[in-house]
Amino acid sequence: MARYIAKRVMYMLITLFIIATLSFFLMKMLPGSPLNAEEKLTEEQQAIVLEKYGLNDPIPIQYVNYLAGLVQGDLGISFAFSNTPVTDILMDRMGPSAQLGAQALVVGTVIGVLLGLIAAISHNGFLDYTSTIIAVLGTSIPNFVFAGLLQYLFAAEWELFPVALWGSFEHSILPTIALMIFPMATAARFVRTEMVEVLGSNFITTARAKGVSEPGIVFKHGLRNAMIPLVTVIGPMAVSLMTGSMVIEQIFAIPGIGEQFVNSVMVNDYPTIMGTTLLFAALFIGIILVTDLLYGLIDPRIRISGGGK
Amino acid sequence: MSKLLEVKDLAISFNTYNGEVQAVRGVSFDLNKGETLAIVGESGSGKSVTTSALMGLLPKPQSIIKSGQILFEGKDLVGKSNKEMQKIRGKEISMVFQDPMSALNPTMKVGNQIMEGLIKHQNMNRNDAKKKAIELLDLVGIPNPETRMTQFPHQFSGGMRQRVVVAIALACNPKVLIADEPTTALDVTIQAQILELMKDIQKETESAIVFITHDLGVVANVADRVAVMYAGKIVEVGTVDDIFYNPKHPYTWGLLGSMPTPDSDEDELFAIPGSPPNMLNPPKGDAFAPRNKFALEIDGVMEPPMFKVSDTHYAATWLLHEDAPKIEPPASVKKRMQGIAKTGGNE
Repeated sequence: MARYIAKRVMYMLITLFIIATLSFFLMKMLPGSPLNAEEKLTEEQQAIVLEKYGLNDPIPIQYVNYLAGLVQGDLGISFAFSNTPVTDILMDRMGPSAQLGAQALVVGTVIGVLLGLIAAISHNGFLDYTSTIIAVLGTSIPNFVFAGLLQYLFAAEWELFPVALWGSFEHSILPTIALMIFPMATAARFVRTEMVEVLGSNFITTARAKGVSEPGIVFKHGLRNAMIPLVTVIGPMAVSLMTGSMVIEQIFAIPGIGEQFVNSVMVNDYPTIMGTTLLFAALFIGIILVTDLLYGLIDPRIRISGGGK
Repeated sequence: MSKLLEVKDLAISFNTYNGEVQAVRGVSFDLNKGETLAIVGESGSGKSVTTSALMGLLPKPQSIIKSGQILFEGKDLVGKSNKEMQKIRGKEISMVFQDPMSALNPTMKVGNQIMEGLIKHQNMNRNDAKKKAIELLDLVGIPNPETRMTQFPHQFSGGMRQRVVVAIALACNPKVLIADEPTTALDVTIQAQILELMKDIQKETESAIVFITHDLGVVANVADRVAVMYAGKIVEVGTVDDIFYNPKHPYTWGLLGSMPTPDSDEDELFAIPGSPPNMLNPPKGDAFAPRNKFALEIDGVMEPPMFKVSDTHYAATWLLHEDAPKIEPPASVKKRMQGIAKTGGNE
């Protein structure tokens, strides 16, 4: 097992290196320079700034310098955000996004799984249709619609939660609800489909023939076998939730990483763009590894050969 | 002998989009303690539906028990709630399934799957259940039971899995064991092993076995009595000797005649023409008549009652009526059924 993980981490590093290289050159192909917005500078001043940040060097040299910094864990200094190191900006901005994402993911998945189970058990019954409708609405209505609705009802009308901004836990409730609708609906859909199939399989009949109670059938025998497709979709969804939703963060005025990513692209803040891209990429491939390990945990048939437990 | 299980006039229908499918149309049979009853018939003759009803495992809400009783130790199982049936399933009546590849939960350790019933029905704690499960694995002939307990089904071969399924079914010493084509999905050598295993275990536990199969070789090997089902009814019932040496129903002749035996290469198999009737609209009269070259005129008008051949042997065919012409089974069939009886199955 340890060997397998070590091997996977190696591959991850290679992937990250390729992503870093690709995004570096792609970014250099973007039109404009970091100074476009700063028209008040004289040509002389611009030259000094470019020199200071090494932007006058030939691109291959810049690339080597960048990689050298990267290996030492240095993502460079942001051009736009008052000369703070990119790592600091990311740490700072990641917090709210990660918290929101994690809350939305956990709550959404749990409720979604329950909805899916209820639907599967009452297959083609009233509860099934109800939960299917919820799932369809949740996947098809964009979350900013919910966000607006939540702000109007819970903040403006009933004044239960703050409208926007970031601070206490209460501030995170409305954006979490808005964000969790999608993972909830997705989980409900996947669990229902898979559970209906699993409940029809022969080993469920075997379990019934043993006299296992209905809750036992669903939770002990059914759920685990229905988890694989869910884990497959939840992984990537986790990344996109944790790395922030630009729209939701904008609506609730949350200083998250999604908002900051857009800004840095607008002003050609190269180090920040690169840093954020790499962070997202690293999270993504990290999640893929976790997903693969989870598969093995859930289904012994996909357990890694040679390792296992 | 005391009647352990008595099925009386059981009728089961399925509601489908096309209408009511009459899967089982008035089946009656009984089962004594320690006895093996084989139910044979083509696919779709209602054998599996009948046994699902015994287990209380008919698919709901499509299926309905139209009439009849299932008396287990004198108590009617029809109309028992799911909760009550949960106490009977696995404890009093248990089941071995056809396909061992899919009958075990792929994500649960084999040991836990055996222990589940023990913990539920015998109120055992995990330790006792574990000991008993190891004994059971040993009983069904699985080597290294301690190690095997912690393995998953995919680490077992088909034959070994079927042994596990048998172990699960036997865990709580059921009074009735229903085996729904337990050897169909296995290759021949393994089939023989599983049959031997079931016979041995029956001797030890005195369970009664309802053995569903379409393999007459298996019937000759394991059964005490045989019920032949056709189109949702039992058309002939008797001891193994009755059915193999003195079959009365033309359908039974067909079944016997269509089975190859080692010395059957000289002449053709006696195939039954056509296919079973559509149970959406069961034919009037004798359901087998359209495929029966010995059919009489009355077969198209009236259903034959069960005629008594001997105390153990009954058959539902007008050929047994005193006014009917005396018809002997075709010579090729006669020869073949003796061949089957002689070899005692496919071993």
